[in-house]
Formats: sequence, C-alpha cells, structure tokens
Amino acid sequence: MAEPPSSLSSKDVAHVARLARLHLDDATVESYRTQLASVLTHIARLGQVDTSGVEPMAHPMDTVNRLDPDEPGPVLTLDQVLMNAPAREGDFIAVPKVLGGDSA
Amino acid sequence: MPRMATTQTPEITSTRLIIGLEIHIELATRTKMFTRAPNVAHPSRYDSAPNTLVDPLVMALPGALPVMNRRAVEMSMKVGLALGCSIARRCRWDRKNYYYPDLPKGYQISQYDRPLCTDGAWELAGSGRRIGIIRAHLEEDTGKLGHELPGGLDYAGSLVDLNRAGTPLLEVVTAPDFTTADEVVQFAQELRDLCRYLRVTEGIMQKGHMRFEPNVNLALTLDDGREVRTPVVEVKNLNSFRSLKGAIEHEAIRQVEAWQADGRVMGRGMKATRGWDDVRLVTVLQREKEDAHDYRYFPDPDLVWVEVDEAWLARVREELVELPGSRAQRYVGPWGLARKDADQLLAEPDLSDFFEACVAAAGGAPAAAAAIAKLLLNVGMKHANERQKPLHLAGITPAQVAGLMALRDEGTVNAGSADALFGMLCDSDDEPRAAAERSGMVIVRDDRALDAWVDAALAANAQAADDLRAGKMAAMGRIMGHVMKSSGGTVDAKTVQARVMERVGKGA
Repeated sequence: MAEPPSSLSSKDVAHVARLARLHLDDATVESYRTQLASVLTHIARLGQVDTSGVEPMAHPMDTVNRLDPDEPGPVLTLDQVLMNAPAREGDFIAVPKVLGGDSA
Repeated sequence: MPRMATTQTPEITSTRLIIGLEIHIELATRTKMFTRAPNVAHPSRYDSAPNTLVDPLVMALPGALPVMNRRAVEMSMKVGLALGCSIARRCRWDRKNYYYPDLPKGYQISQYDRPLCTDGAWELAGSGRRIGIIRAHLEEDTGKLGHELPGGLDYAGSLVDLNRAGTPLLEVVTAPDFTTADEVVQFAQELRDLCRYLRVTEGIMQKGHMRFEPNVNLALTLDDGREVRTPVVEVKNLNSFRSLKGAIEHEAIRQVEAWQADGRVMGRGMKATRGWDDVRLVTVLQREKEDAHDYRYFPDPDLVWVEVDEAWLARVREELVELPGSRAQRYVGPWGLARKDADQLLAEPDLSDFFEACVAAAGGAPAAAAAIAKLLLNVGMKHANERQKPLHLAGITPAQVAGLMALRDEGTVNAGSADALFGMLCDSDDEPRAAAERSGMVIVRDDRALDAWVDAALAANAQAADDLRAGKMAAMGRIMGHVMKSSGGTVDAKTVQARVMERVGKGA
C-alpha cells in the first residue's frame, strides 16, 4: 500500500476529475479536496493493520468458476442498440471525433 | 568543420537491439468473453453488420452482469500450455478504468496481477533461440471506432461499432529476448501457426485477429567504454508482419539519432508510445493516454475467481495437438517429403490434418507419405480449386485417397485415370476400385487388344511410324495419343511405348 498523502493538492483533484471526465470549478475543487483528503486519511488508518500473510480478498463470496458454456444467446435489435445513442449515423453510434483510433 | 574536443559526444562503437513483444489474439469462441452475444471473431460472424452483436451487457445497460465464457478460459489454457507456461491454480479479474467511446462500461475487464498463464518459453525453429514468455492473460476487446461512412465518405465525427466489444482477447507478453526484427517476425509467425493449429483463431491478420506491440530500445556501446540504453518505445497496434518488421527497423535507426541529438537514456518516465505510419514507413509519437496507475485497477466485484484443478487441466491438455514445427520435422525427416511440399501442406492446419488422415488410411507407412503428398498437391489441389473449396472439404475422403493410391501403385489405373478418378471421387462416395471399373479406367492387360490398338495407330499415322523407325522419338506422342483415344485411356503408357518400339522394329 502506498503511503497516505500528507495533504491532497488541488492539482491532484483536478487530475482525478479529468480521469473521470468531470468538469469542476475552482470552488468545487477546493471542497472536494478537503473531503477526499479526509477519505484518504481514513483509508490510511486501515492500512496500519498488519495484513502480511493475508491473501487479499478480491471477492466477498467463496464461490468460484461461475462459467457459462459457449452457446450463443439473444442480441438486441439495431434500433434498441441505437435508441439511447446521443446521435445516430446510419447503423453507427455517432460521437465527437476521437483521435488516435481504437483504445485497444 | 572539425568539432571542438571539449564538446564532442562519445562515438557509438556498436548497437544492440533489445525487443520484447506483446501480442493480442482475438479468440474465436462462439460468444463473447463475459456474455453470450455472438463473437465477431468467430468465422460464422466475420461479416456481421455493425452493432448487430450487441446485448445489454455489451452496452453496459444498468443491471447487466458478466458471466465468464468457459471456452475462452480453456482456449487460453491451451495456448499457455503450448508455450510451456504454468497455469495458475487461481486467477481473477480486474477492472482497468478509463473513458473512451469504444468502451461503454468505462472499464475493461482484464487480469492485472493474477494472470492465467505465467513463465513459459518458446524455442524458435532453426536457431533454437529461447524466447521467454512472461505471461498470457485474458481480457476483453473494445468496440471499433471508424471515420468513414458506408460507401467511403469521410465522417466528421467518430462512428462506434460495438460488435467487437467484449471479444475474448488473449494477451501474450514475451521477455525482452529478441535482438533482431527478423527474430520478432519469426516468433510472431510461429505464434500465429501455433494458435491456428490449436484452433483458437484463424489468424486472419487483415481482420485484426492478431495485433502486435513491440517494446524496443537499444544498448549503445560507446568509445569511452560505457554502455547506455535508449528510452523504451512501445509501438502500438501493428497488424501485419510487414509493419512489425518496419516499425522495429525504423526504431533501430531513429533511437540512435534521437540519442545523438538529446542524449536521453532509459529511465523512469522516459518510456514513449508511438504508432506506425504505413504510408511514410516511420513511427510517430502518440499522444499519451493514462499512466498505469491512472487506470485504477481493482478486482471486479461482479466476477468470481477462476480455479483450475488437475482434472480440468488434464481435459484441456488432451485437446493439445502436434504443432507445425514438430510436424515439419516428421514430414521432411522419416516421411521423406520435399521441403516445399511439407511447407505447402503445413500452411493450413486443415490440409495438414487431411494429409495425415490419408497417410493413416493408407496404412500409415512413412514410405507412402511422399507419394500421397504429391497426389494431394498436384492433383487434389486442382480438383479442389475447380470446386472452389479447400481440399479437405472437396468431397473426397482419406479412405478414398488411400484406395486411389493403391490402384495407382499396383498399376490398375494409370496417372491420367488417377487424376480423373480423383475428380469423380470428390463428387461421389464410391469405393475407388468400383468407380475405376465402372468408368473403364482399369488398365487392359490383354496383349491382343493392345497390339490391335498399336497396329491401328501405326497404320493411321504412317509418317509418325516412319519417323520412329528413323529414331525420331518425338513422333511417339502422336502414336500414344491415338492408342489412348482408342483404348479410352485404359493402357499403361510405358507398356504401350515398349510395344510400339517392338512393332516398328526398334524393340530392345
């Protein structure tokens, strides 16, 4: 676990906001900065517990191998796929231009 | 102008390429990784219209929950085992968070620190060079962004097609063990063959079934004795062997020039991402996306762990097949095939399997293999092409091929009839001997009949007969043609030739 930040900067908040595609004004950044800092301080306290030798719990249930056979199921119609799209162009969802191609 | 000694940078005395490779393989399952909408990477869905392989999970509609595809896990295990990897007893799924229009959920499900396959190695054919495999993990592909409308018109925005979203992707990561672009390409081709033989993909590069991302840098030895390393460059999304080779070779030159210009060396924050410009044949700097820690990986709470026990592993192990490298050694070794024939048969897994089934049907003797290979490649391919089908689907069975070979070997049919018979057997289930008899292809062993055909041919072609008597063997073609025609092709060419020479008084 990383050390808790002694304080959270406005720059950190702006960066996290950008990753989440949120537009925050300066006053909101400041209000989030104090709130987030207190969240991080609390999480840092949890980090003080000695957990060496404990397998991290990725899931609250003990169930494993919930797997389906590879059998095709139903799909949505094209109209259903496109009905909530911000804009439609032919059979595609139209969005503002993204440079640099697919994210994959 | 001579440079001032005080400002002179050290000269480079030698360079050494250091390359690691990441390969994304789209698995040809019938359905997607975490839902049962059909998978565009399965041959039956290659040509699906945009946005027709989409269900609520693919769209990330509220309440839709992922369920793993058993087959995708098994295909990944197969590739991992073939690459000599250990298969994790427990692995899990993590979310990689980022926003992009081709990713409706806002995160990609991947395996971060608990991958399915780890610590393998692959030996390159020929050189035997060992390439370490660090890991192979499963994730899901994203949708596709296009900028062209149907018909080729440019579109000002981006067009989202979600057919590919959720296709199972196996990402294989090698150690930085490559030292030349050619080695990287050889590995990439061998991995493609491996995947095709394991039936996890058809490996069609133009469809993006495999995408390569080399990590390239250079160790520079300087004339002052030091060795420095240039910053690592990752070239994204190469989908042809040509671009893979071109990108690495370009980096090998560009990084020397970059070091000479700015002196920058490998280190924290120095890694850069570049793309390949297929027209100008250069790599170009790409705008940085998020850093790794910005992806905020965390375990996906909607998915449970995968546990692999001995029994499951054993079942998957049984699906492994002999890989092309090993087949090639057998073909050109004990089976005595020409290298060219072996390569041609191995180019398609189905063809190689069909050939081996034919050899097995003929009794499995290595001695028969080379002749069967010749028959399939010289005669079989022609009939398959005429039917516009691959040979294994042309209609003839391995048992029929074996029967046909037997008829030819025992001299019951001649080469020309064997060709015609091959075609007939593509269109019928007949037993080869019965088909040959019914079609009058069985070679006539009756000397009187043969003499009658030969005499008639000589009488009808007096000039050719005279030429033969004068030793002009080119005239034999005319006589042979006549005999073949009157006998309906049921004679053995060598026997006829000997007989003709006897009749013109030139017999041995």
